[in-house]
Amino acid sequence: MQFSLNEHQRQVLDSLETLLTRRAGRERALELIATGGYDHTLDAALADAGFLQLSQASDTGPLDAALAGVEVARRLGVTSFTASALVAPMVLGEVREARVALAEAPAAGPVRLGGTAELLLVLKGDEALALETGPDDWIAVDNNRAGYPLARLRDGALARARSLGPGSGARLRDAWRVEIAVQCAGLIQGALELTVAYLRDRRQFGRPIGSFQAVQHRLARLALLAEGARWLALEAAYRDARPDLAATAAAFAAGGADTVFRECHQLHGAIGFTREYPLHLWTIRLLQVQRELGGPTRHRRDAARMTFTAPEVLALSVAPAV
Amino acid sequence: MEFDWTPQDQAYRAELQAYIRKMLPAGWRGYDQKDRAAYKTAAKAFASGMAEHGWLTQNWPKDYGGAECSAWRQAILGEELTPIGEPRGSQYMNVNWIGPAIMRFGTEAQKQYHLRRIAAGDVFWCQGFSEPDAGSDLGSLRTRAVRDGDDYVVSGSKIWTSHVGIADFCILLVRTGAPDSRARGISVLLVPMGHPGFSTRHIASLAGDESHYELFFDEMRVPVSWRLGEEDQGWEVVRWALQYERVGSTQYQRAALQLAETAEAAIANGAFEDPEMQSRFGEAWAACQAARMLTLRVYDLREAGSPPTADSNLSRLISTDCLKMVAQLSAEVLGLEALDHEGPAVDAIRNAALAVAAGAAEIQLDRIAMDFLGLPRGK
Repeated sequence: MQFSLNEHQRQVLDSLETLLTRRAGRERALELIATGGYDHTLDAALADAGFLQLSQASDTGPLDAALAGVEVARRLGVTSFTASALVAPMVLGEVREARVALAEAPAAGPVRLGGTAELLLVLKGDEALALETGPDDWIAVDNNRAGYPLARLRDGALARARSLGPGSGARLRDAWRVEIAVQCAGLIQGALELTVAYLRDRRQFGRPIGSFQAVQHRLARLALLAEGARWLALEAAYRDARPDLAATAAAFAAGGADTVFRECHQLHGAIGFTREYPLHLWTIRLLQVQRELGGPTRHRRDAARMTFTAPEVLALSVAPAV
Repeated sequence: MEFDWTPQDQAYRAELQAYIRKMLPAGWRGYDQKDRAAYKTAAKAFASGMAEHGWLTQNWPKDYGGAECSAWRQAILGEELTPIGEPRGSQYMNVNWIGPAIMRFGTEAQKQYHLRRIAAGDVFWCQGFSEPDAGSDLGSLRTRAVRDGDDYVVSGSKIWTSHVGIADFCILLVRTGAPDSRARGISVLLVPMGHPGFSTRHIASLAGDESHYELFFDEMRVPVSWRLGEEDQGWEVVRWALQYERVGSTQYQRAALQLAETAEAAIANGAFEDPEMQSRFGEAWAACQAARMLTLRVYDLREAGSPPTADSNLSRLISTDCLKMVAQLSAEVLGLEALDHEGPAVDAIRNAALAVAAGAAEIQLDRIAMDFLGLPRGK
């Protein structure tokens, strides 16, 4: 049991930090919104530096990929990094250096980072389907120039998908849940950091707004959500997306995301709704990720059913001696 | 970063569980505290039995009755004993923070006298902190200790003190500085119960028979050698101790066990079939698991020798949130049955009281805002 980073993890995150400082961040995210694009430059840099291999390398694993995924989300990377580095290896058993997107059958709805995806993993009941996709398979969705780019799969494209076999559906669902939790953890952290910084600076009634107790207590609650989301996401990744832990992590993170969206915008006032102020870069992405796979309600129900109706699962967490 | 228990830690947990099964009947969920003598005898037997096996203070130094294991042993102890109703009685406080505070701030004589007793599992403590006009605002406490030669003369009173009926010693906060010296003029005294000038009054409480007492000090003379730490420097002791008090009783695991038992009842009576109910169970479960991680984080910092951080406030706040969520679910699942203390219900009143103890939830929020997020102080 050790919550701090080991030496190797620290080195990996330090070099990621350097890379993200150069390639990601607010300015870059605003630029990408203007062009409606996916960040191919960042993607290539992450791949070149070997970050895609984290979950499969000999001295690292899914936890390391999750640690990196949290940072990429927090620093606003417009990339399918976590789906490629964490989800795909869990489902396929190997790393595919491809832009990966995730969808649920019948895959008619908007897909996060769909339009540029090379590999689409589709959850269809008990099965996962894999579909190689190109630009012609997608129709861009008008996302009001906010959040991750979204696209819909063209009718009929799913017919080309191949099944990954019975049971692969549950694996995809669990891995996707960890990805949702990782995304939310990074995005919540980023939104909270911006909000805290703003409320320390912004003065009304002759004092920083952040010195009012009514405001402080609301921010403290958000800190609880940010920290809880982060540690549960990391633990679920560490346990290789064990089904109950994945559902629990997603339930906490996606449930918290809703609150973080509302509170960060409320606490910012009008400026939080402008396009020039960066809050939306985190919050709209949060709303998107938060709604995937049925949203918090489905994660919560699954977490409850997986835990309380299976004594052997419950015993992993609660097994009193008497 | 890794989240596995070592094989040694797992073996320790297994030994502990076997001992619990040997000592307590199936389904045991706490002592009847009405008969104080019987309660104290049973809790002492349980704790001293643990001590004989070397299981009570494993993370302490060998010199003071420990085995120099990691702080994680403390977390395991809490996870096993808090949820079922704490068979050590109030001795969890000794092991979690009173002993460690004496180890850190005490004189050699104090260490020799107190730590052996604590490690042997046959001494009970209470903490004289809150006063009628100093609850959440602990820094305004007024119980005076006036120096007179080699003694202090203590006058004043404490309130809301728990575990007094079985206590042998009190860790007492007194004002040695000027009346307005706030946190800069507080000292800590280690006083045996029943010392001349020291009297107590039981306060009947909804939160349990041993929950609330008053302590009175009528010109109580105590030797200066009973002071823990430097004169007027008691706040540092308190700050250091409180971060462990907040995580000391492992409330996340208590909430998780209560939730599991409530879910069992909900499955049995059909309430669990309601999808809305499932969602709420899942939400509460996720909160319990987040509380677990945030509490283990505090043990991790302790193991790393970190000074006090606001992580303990996060842990305490989310743990008491969980207890309230569970109590509400229990009430909804069981209806009026939830008010039968003999039944499977969660004690909603005690759960609510825990959000007041060890610093009210509002104080935890203050500390998180200022110490964790770095927000500016108000006027």
